[in-house]
Amino acid sequence: MSDKNREGKRTARERMAQERAAEQARASRNKKLIVGGTVLAVIAAAVVIGVVVQNQRSKPETPAAAPAGAIGDKNLVIPSGASNAPSTLTVYEDPRCPACGSFERTFSPTIDQLEDAGKVVVNYHIVSFIDRSLGGNGSKYGANALACAQNAGHFRDYHDVLYRNQPDETEDSFGNKQTLITLAKQVPGLDTPEFENCVNSNQFGGWVSAVQQDFDKSSYKSTPTVLLNGEPIYAKKGDEQISPENLVKWVDQANQGKPLGTPGSHGQSPAPSSTAAESNTPPSP
Amino acid sequence: MASQQADRGRAVRRAVDSPAAEWFGLAVRLGLAVVWGWAGWAKVSDPAEAAQAVRAYEILPEALVKPVGWGLPFLELALALLLVLGLGTRIVAVISAALLLVFIAGISSAWARGISIDCGCFGGGGAVDESQTKYLQEILRDSGFLLLSAWLIYRPRTKLSLDAWLAA
Repeated sequence: MSDKNREGKRTARERMAQERAAEQARASRNKKLIVGGTVLAVIAAAVVIGVVVQNQRSKPETPAAAPAGAIGDKNLVIPSGASNAPSTLTVYEDPRCPACGSFERTFSPTIDQLEDAGKVVVNYHIVSFIDRSLGGNGSKYGANALACAQNAGHFRDYHDVLYRNQPDETEDSFGNKQTLITLAKQVPGLDTPEFENCVNSNQFGGWVSAVQQDFDKSSYKSTPTVLLNGEPIYAKKGDEQISPENLVKWVDQANQGKPLGTPGSHGQSPAPSSTAAESNTPPSP
Repeated sequence: MASQQADRGRAVRRAVDSPAAEWFGLAVRLGLAVVWGWAGWAKVSDPAEAAQAVRAYEILPEALVKPVGWGLPFLELALALLLVLGLGTRIVAVISAALLLVFIAGISSAWARGISIDCGCFGGGGAVDESQTKYLQEILRDSGFLLLSAWLIYRPRTKLSLDAWLAA
């Protein structure tokens, strides 16, 4: 009897201890579930909010406004030269890219002459991705200023001026809007209050972003990318190295038997008579 | 010999469970928080740039490029926040480690396929010149962060954490 009683007390005590342990285990499991659930909820909320916010912030791939005379699917291309020219030169370039600067300083007199002779129309894609890797705004503001110049009918001259005055890649002087306006004074008739306002307000910022997003989705990865009638010719066309002489030769070959285009003046100054490469003239202080 | 090993085992266990280890854990937790916070914040400013950094890996289909490019920085920022608070440290460390393994796999894959990109780990990203790829450094750096995550999976109890406060 007393033995039984003692045994009963022990089992009761054991049972209570077990229950308490089970209770604690349950509480700790619940706590873990709540913490884990909170963590996953915080992460899920952050990701959903992030996607929604970025979707709202991102500039559309089809720009709301494009500079006058822009052509192509979403008006992302600036044409220069006769629209009915038999050959098309497609150029992707970033205002800050040094290789583009060196390409332009070597080739722009030749390209301007080919345009003026009605042999080519040049399709410019003004991309702006150097800012991403080096920081700053020179690519974007430079591209916007080029769009402003296009809007004013002075794209070609301003484009040539910008590349002749291109700073070192790591130096973001095109990120200074005043520098872009000062350089515009080298193009007769360009520096109007309208142009300055366009540069200062980054009027074509959405268009600049759309052009870059179009480049992002293309298969081209570097600048300058230069295509003659769709075929890459920079730095080589097949085995042949590009040079002003070779460029003229390739264009003439492609144009054989085709009528030349009829270039209008479009307010641009005529090409220089010499095809000698222009020197880089940094802005005087 | 066997008892010596047992002694050493006990000594290691004592060190790992000591308050000093929990302070060390705090440093690891905040260190990883800074990494995620910095990585996330750097990818927020330009959505198009973030999308392009993802696209450049040429792994995901175009339909997923933007959601991943836009959502990933906020995932990283959420991990940073949770690490600062010290809430659910072990789960957060497991997710961190998984994410880092995905990043290391992505970078290795780009390297193996011979495409030239910046990893875009801390903003930037996209195609770069072949001479400017830094795949080995990027993988070693992420492996270092992986070690931080591994420590927190192993010892999630750290000083000044919500977890410790909730457990008390």
